[in-house]
Amino acid sequence: MDWDQFDLNPKVIAALKKADIKSIKEILNFSGADLQRLMKLSSADIQCLLKTVSHMLRRNSMLTALQLYQDKDHLTSQHQKLSLGCSVLDNLLKGGIPLVGITELAGESSAGKTQISLQLCLCVQYPYKYGGLESGAVYICTEDVFPSKRLQQLIDQQHKLRADIPAEIIQKIKFGNSIFVEHAADLDTFHNCVTKRISLLLTRGMVRLVVIDSIAALFRCEFGVSDSVMKARYLQTFGAQLHSLSTRFRTPIMCINQTLQILKVQPFFYGYFPVTRADNRVLPALGITWANQLLMRLMVSRISQPEQSSGVASHHPGSVRTLRVVFAPHLPPSSCYYTVKLEGVKGIK
Amino acid sequence: EIGISKEEALEALQVVRQACHGDAARTAEGSGTTRKCTALELLEEEQAQGFIITFCSALDNILGGGVQLTKITEICGAPGVGKTQLCMQLAVDVQIPECFGGVAGEAVFIDTEGSFMVDRVVDIATACVQHCQLIAEAHQEEDHLKALETFCLESILSHIYYFRCRDYIELLAQVYLLPDFLSEHSKVRLVIVDGIAFPFRHDFEDLSLRTRLLNGLAQQLIIIANDHKSAVVLTNQMTTRVGQSQSILVPALGESWGHAATVRLIFHWDNSRRLATLYKSPSQKESTIPYHITSHGFRDVQPPAVTQNAEGTEMNPRKRARREEEK
Repeated sequence: MDWDQFDLNPKVIAALKKADIKSIKEILNFSGADLQRLMKLSSADIQCLLKTVSHMLRRNSMLTALQLYQDKDHLTSQHQKLSLGCSVLDNLLKGGIPLVGITELAGESSAGKTQISLQLCLCVQYPYKYGGLESGAVYICTEDVFPSKRLQQLIDQQHKLRADIPAEIIQKIKFGNSIFVEHAADLDTFHNCVTKRISLLLTRGMVRLVVIDSIAALFRCEFGVSDSVMKARYLQTFGAQLHSLSTRFRTPIMCINQTLQILKVQPFFYGYFPVTRADNRVLPALGITWANQLLMRLMVSRISQPEQSSGVASHHPGSVRTLRVVFAPHLPPSSCYYTVKLEGVKGIK
Repeated sequence: EIGISKEEALEALQVVRQACHGDAARTAEGSGTTRKCTALELLEEEQAQGFIITFCSALDNILGGGVQLTKITEICGAPGVGKTQLCMQLAVDVQIPECFGGVAGEAVFIDTEGSFMVDRVVDIATACVQHCQLIAEAHQEEDHLKALETFCLESILSHIYYFRCRDYIELLAQVYLLPDFLSEHSKVRLVIVDGIAFPFRHDFEDLSLRTRLLNGLAQQLIIIANDHKSAVVLTNQMTTRVGQSQSILVPALGESWGHAATVRLIFHWDNSRRLATLYKSPSQKESTIPYHITSHGFRDVQPPAVTQNAEGTEMNPRKRARREEEK
């Protein structure tokens, strides 16, 4: 770092060089008192230095909420979301999946998580005007083999699912070419995948959706009870890496998670606060450490028998599911029904 | 350094020092100068400090009036419990005009997690304006109507200053720049950092460095709160502390961080109810109240509907209510 180009007092510049400080990040990593000791400068000089480098890092970083609201540019606007390919589901989510942040889709097995994720991999490839992001997807399998046969079925039936899109547009897109499948069954492979492979695909603009199916499988076998600190650290590191990629490339990250049955609800104890609403006796796996990384949590479940016999569900016996918003900063807790058909996932009004 | 002799330098310093003392004598406050006053004066000053209401009267009550200016208030809780919702509500409420009981201030919103959704703020702001309009209609006072001319959605949104910090370095830099920003935007009465934990909970091999940086951050925020007569509101995550017999949830960032905030609120669940516990406060006692989040924002829980009595016969609702009051 060439300190001479900065608007700093010469003696401060000399002290920076003498202390072998090479970057703004390094300076900010020290507390004010540490810097004073290290550079042997007065408190006023240090304050001035901190302000100057902070200004270099953060000039033009302010927006008013009004500017955020009025931003119509589809490349930067908060209003833009990734559609799920069904208007009922999109309405539940007020447009679709937010572009920046990690969205979790949790649920029991065969509730439809993989179906929804595959559908998203196709939706992302459509033009912005149809709720897509005009780019591909990367699908990381951590457990099962990638369901290519099902993907092909979905591709063949796109015209049926997306009746809102002109047939010529659908025909032009080579869906299979833009879905990149990765397999990562353990943490090291996953780490490499995220830091190298996904980074590369994102940098080249080839993908604008990352699906991880599932995040829970990565942590199931490798950690015993006593390794909880280690596990937490991995979760936080991965969460931060994914979050950072999502922010840099305005790309939604969809993490599939499994659920656990709660066998016993803990009594309220002073200082003990329940982790989530335990009304369903089913909790997403990986605990609060993982939940802290999420922007939005969605849960899917099969409908219980009594619900199925009434109204809506009776028309679609056996395959009705519920999609529930557990938390999101912009959505109330709400839910809707959906079915899984040959052409894909469709919400029921 | 500027090419004058030592004597001339000393003389220059003396002149400057005298001028400073003169200034300090004239103004009642000056950062960096000390001032003697009695505890009574301090108490009166503190009671005169404004509060930012939350629109949940139960929460305002346990806080002693609302979120207090010149203090740091920390909101801890699990994901999805409502911390960001309250922050967005406060960013709107700080702007309520004085004639409606507000502090007529502006807000700085520092977002480290990307959870600030402007469409949600629009809902909250619209509901707040409607609330004030209802009051104005009921009272028909001129200053109410005049205030409503400028208290509208666009104005509210334009006075929330939003900063997105993607890691702890950006956050630290932003806080170093805050004092100058607040001097330029002197109407700011609320600084929000949502959340303080997120950028500090990974990437730190050296926990003692993290503690030093957090301490420095806390000190700066305390000074900002005082010098600019603003409320500082921080949100924090919860983490699991493994105990001998069971694990409990505690606020993240460790023991020493617990001293940073003056007031600490913990939001949590009780089955499907949302509860707020005032966990730490210099003047109010520890208590727990329920709150609700509606499409309009952060609110009280509505009193429960009247139910049948134990014998199974339905009581006249009005009769029932009177009975309760008599208790």
